[in-house]
Amino acid sequence: MNNRLKVLRAERDWSQADLAERLGVSRQTVNALETGRYDPSLPLAFRISRVFAQPIEAIFIDE
Amino acid sequence: MATDPKPKRPLGLGAYVLVLVGVGLVGGLAGGLQGLTEGLPAPYGVVANFAVMAVAMAIGLAACVWWWRGIDEAAREAHKWAWWWGGSGGMAVGGMLLLTLTLNENAAPSAAELGLSAAELLAGGMWIILMFQLAGYAVAWAAWWLKHR
Repeated sequence: MNNRLKVLRAERDWSQADLAERLGVSRQTVNALETGRYDPSLPLAFRISRVFAQPIEAIFIDE
Repeated sequence: MATDPKPKRPLGLGAYVLVLVGVGLVGGLAGGLQGLTEGLPAPYGVVANFAVMAVAMAIGLAACVWWWRGIDEAAREAHKWAWWWGGSGGMAVGGMLLLTLTLNENAAPSAAELGLSAAELLAGGMWIILMFQLAGYAVAWAAWWLKHR
């Protein structure tokens, strides 16, 4: 599944470590999410949605 | 939209090493206590050994629960995937080796030639399979993170 995490993070000038701290996950997990190699659970997807103040479907693209 | 409280930082490699060292220390302590209790007359020695092992295993499991609750979901997924595929794969490889040795009379020395008791042979087989499982687990865990970088 593709996502816009990297773009959204760059818009806010956050590092992967910054985003990881906001989400309560490791930096490695953020990296795996950004590269599209790991799909988050629903609770984590909702946390991401809240952190970026955007709906889940605006962040994750089902392709 | 609801707001999250500040999320907790997930446990890292340091916690993993801490659990490993702690469990190792508990195992060493249990081994030392076994040495003290094995001279007791039956059935007290057996009961004491069982009690020491049960307490050591319970402490080890409690440490694992603490650590598991503290890591994040990708780390959990890596461990689950590694235990299933790596552990099963390792068990299959170890099983092939052990079955080859046990099903062919001349492939290995007999128990009498090795001077081992039945219990020692049983424990030896169990440890060999466990080592293969752990080796497969370690390889699969590393492969998961390399693949998901």
